[in-house]
Amino acid sequence: MHEFSVAIGIIDTLRENGYLDGVSRVAKIKINLGKYSGIDKNYLSFAFQNVDDKRFNGAEIDFVLNDGDEITIKEIYVD
Amino acid sequence: MKSVRKKELRTIRVQKNALGTNEEIALKNKTIFGKAFVVNLLSSPGSGKTSLLEAVIPVLKDAGLKMAVIEGDVDTDLDKKRIDALGVPAYQIVTNGTCHLDARMVNNSLGRLDIKNADVIFIENVGNLVCPTSFNLGEDIKAVVLSVTEGDDKPLKYPAAFYKSRVLIINKTDLLPFLKADLERIIKNALSVNKDLKIFETSCYGIPKDSPAGSACDKGMLGFAGFIKESVRSKTARLQGAFLNKGLGI
Ligand SMILES: Nc1nc2c(ncn2[C@@H]2O[C@H](COP(=O)(O)OP(=O)(O)O)[C@@H](O)[C@H]2O)c(=O)[nH]1
Ligand SMILES: [Mg+2]
Repeated sequence: MHEFSVAIGIIDTLRENGYLDGVSRVAKIKINLGKYSGIDKNYLSFAFQNVDDKRFNGAEIDFVLNDGDEITIKEIYVD
Repeated sequence: MKSVRKKELRTIRVQKNALGTNEEIALKNKTIFGKAFVVNLLSSPGSGKTSLLEAVIPVLKDAGLKMAVIEGDVDTDLDKKRIDALGVPAYQIVTNGTCHLDARMVNNSLGRLDIKNADVIFIENVGNLVCPTSFNLGEDIKAVVLSVTEGDDKPLKYPAAFYKSRVLIINKTDLLPFLKADLERIIKNALSVNKDLKIFETSCYGIPKDSPAGSACDKGMLGFAGFIKESVRSKTARLQGAFLNKGLGI
């Protein structure tokens, strides 16, 4: 249920750190996701298709699963 | 033949916590909290978070501790009113549908709540065993409350809350005789997710049979109160230590 808030959080984090400057489209986001992160990866992928920032609406989310509780943005692939 | 040139994508290395912006606000909250020991209470709706506060606050008050409470609910200020009745400053965050508190909501509330002298701040999160686990509020610890009526498999089914918490309070133990839920199994399952959990078994109602004479609280509740007192003491000592070290240029 909170995956939409997490998607917004990811976009805020990318924007506020300048990673979206001059970017017209985000094609893929690589995320490390811990098994105790409390995040449902299908919902999170779905959330990006519906956020207001249209640059993310076609983004494919590539999850690398691990054992901890982290949610880390590793890389983004952009135009 | 026309060749379709595929546009190359740029790869940008980011390597950042996905909720970095929330983390930054949580860090600001931590500074504002100052010396107060802050507990973020997590649970499903109705496990007894507010009842637990009603039971433990008078004990901590008797011990001379000053407290403040931030209440989070989807709607109403009913829980704030329950805390008001205890004579402790409380602020109600109404999320209007959002299933969790985030650092910004707590930050907004801090200007409107008297926390200046607080030794302890309890944040009662929105009742939900999943979503609140993802958002750091700047707290010192998370404490998860599980009532025995929820069943002994819940630590396995909803592991994030148990993994991230320092304390597990197993509440409504007075109802165990009526249930198939097994206390030992709750503990075993919770420890299998997080072996470092500090566990307190509590009941907020009835005079429990192991209640020490003259107290309306059971051993588990007094144990939790003791844990809070000790945590306040050690946080103060830690901050003083850091302050001294800085003063000496260490
Ligand atoms: N039998 C029993 N009922 C309890 C106990 N703690 C809370 N309750 C009841 O559980 C319901 C929910 O309690 P509340 O404190 O509002 O839960 P919250 O939603 O987690 O804040 C209320 O009807 C309480 O009276 C307990 O230890 N034993
Ligand atoms: Mg409540």
